[in-house]
Amino acid sequence: MIAFEHVGKRYGGRFEALADINFRVERGEMLFLTGHSGAGKSSLLRLIMRLERPSRGRVLVAGHDLDRLHLSQVPYYRRQIGVVFQDHQLLFDRDIFANVALPLTIQGIEPHEAARRVRAALDKVGLLHRERALPIELSTGEQQRVGIARAVVNKPALLLADEPTGNLDPQLSADIMRLFEDFNRIGTTVLIASHDLALIARLRHRVLKLREGRLVRDGEAA
Amino acid sequence: MSERQPAPRGAQRARPGPAGGGRAWLRHHRAMLGDSALRLVRRPLATLLTMLAIAIALILPAGLWLVLDSAQLLDAQLDESATLTVYFDHDIDESRALALSETLGAEPGVAGTRLVTAAEGLDEFQRALGVDDALSQLERNPLPASVVVTPDDPSPAAVQALSQRLGQLPGVDEVRLDLAWLDRLQQLAALGQRVALALGLLFGLGVLLVVGNTIRLAVESRRQEIEVVTLIGATHAFVRRPFLYSGAWYGLGGGLLALGILALGGNWLAAPVNALAESYGARFALPTLGVSNSVFLLLFSTLLGWLGAWLAVGRHLAETKPR
Ligand SMILES: Nc1ncnc2c1ncn2[C@@H]1O[C@H](COP(=O)(O)OP(=O)(O)OP(=O)(O)O)[C@@H](O)[C@H]1O
Ligand SMILES: [Mg+2]
Repeated sequence: MIAFEHVGKRYGGRFEALADINFRVERGEMLFLTGHSGAGKSSLLRLIMRLERPSRGRVLVAGHDLDRLHLSQVPYYRRQIGVVFQDHQLLFDRDIFANVALPLTIQGIEPHEAARRVRAALDKVGLLHRERALPIELSTGEQQRVGIARAVVNKPALLLADEPTGNLDPQLSADIMRLFEDFNRIGTTVLIASHDLALIARLRHRVLKLREGRLVRDGEAA
Repeated sequence: MSERQPAPRGAQRARPGPAGGGRAWLRHHRAMLGDSALRLVRRPLATLLTMLAIAIALILPAGLWLVLDSAQLLDAQLDESATLTVYFDHDIDESRALALSETLGAEPGVAGTRLVTAAEGLDEFQRALGVDDALSQLERNPLPASVVVTPDDPSPAAVQALSQRLGQLPGVDEVRLDLAWLDRLQQLAALGQRVALALGLLFGLGVLLVVGNTIRLAVESRRQEIEVVTLIGATHAFVRRPFLYSGAWYGLGGGLLALGILALGGNWLAAPVNALAESYGARFALPTLGVSNSVFLLLFSTLLGWLGAWLAVGRHLAETKPR
């Protein structure tokens, strides 16, 4: 599903955020990306989303060489990836329902079908009763769950999450991880960047560990 | 459309199929048409000010064009009555004058002639001046016989050429044409047309800038929204659409305001203009834009608004596109 081949990323010519990254992720896998703050986790996810291009090496996702993807094709490529953002990126001028529906609106899904899928996604994250609330009226944890609902509403083949449990208490964090495991069980490939080491250790999935832009470990949680 | 299928299997289908896309496209267009109008209505004062700025930029060239149009109407009327007066030498008697007048009538470029004998000329002169006796004191008629010539082609250039040719004929003393001012008027109209065109271009650019700047601010205030929808797969066309409609609304509103102000201004000027025309014994109606020109103005302003928005959003998209 994902392959990094000797990938390096420099910002501004000098600073090396990622260096010689090599790994493969099979379809249907679930894995964590960990490392200290500034290790390059977000940078790596941004490469997969084609928000940045590698300074060297190749990134392949679902058989596409992202470097060869034409700019006009990038939107259609992104529609196949669900992303939970570090700062959840909700739109505060519209309600929860409209926020979750956004990917479907962009793709021109027929409103009836879209409403059905939005409710299913909201139900999955336990926020169906808040569909008419504005994001500002929700707690941080609830906002994070809206972000997750929006990421999965399109039933993406690949789900990326950047610190999805950053602001949550341990109980909620565990709930959210279980949610990701549920999506993984129905065939979605899931890659989660997190530094919640205790939680990662408990879940026993594959872990990629970055240190100062280098991949220093790739294997089962210890 | 392919997006309706369940869980997509990888990114092999980087583009959606064509089937069903048209309806989704139309749906989004309709939604954005309403949404953009609503956004403008929610801020009535700002919207009105922008539209007013556009209207003013449109009124100046449109008003000038109307003035030019009325000038052309004027000289079109004069063209039909453009005549030359050919004065014969003093020693030409009445029978020779008659013969000469027939010669003139046979000249190419001459549509008609009317002989005015020396005696008739004096009569006309006396009547025009309202003096009966003063001239009858004269022992000799000071006026020569003359022929009023109506030319085939009333354009100033043709009339000028004809007058020069007739002036060369034997027995002709001088040819008078009072067309110099007409010529000047036409040159003025030609100059005015260029000025109107230049003003039109300049103020068209002004409309572009007004709309472009307004849309740039709107883009700025929705920066986060644009970023988010781009992150989750919105195309440039999708991002642009609501702003293009806003721009078009601004243009249309500005055009309508311009038409309204022009009509009001016309009404306001009508009374004094009519009074002025009457004092010259003329009938003169202020020109109005008419239906087709009004429609053209609205289309033009809408298009300008759309284009201004396109440029503003395009600049933003170019600045933020992924490296
Ligand atoms: N756009 C950018 N321009 C310049 N440097 C950047 C940019 N984005 C990231 N960096 C640098 O690259 C390094 C890796 O950043 P990244 O955001 O990938 O870290 P991270 O592992 O996600 O950290 P955190 O856990 O704090 O989110 C950091 O040192 C950061 O300063
Ligand atoms: Mg990060």
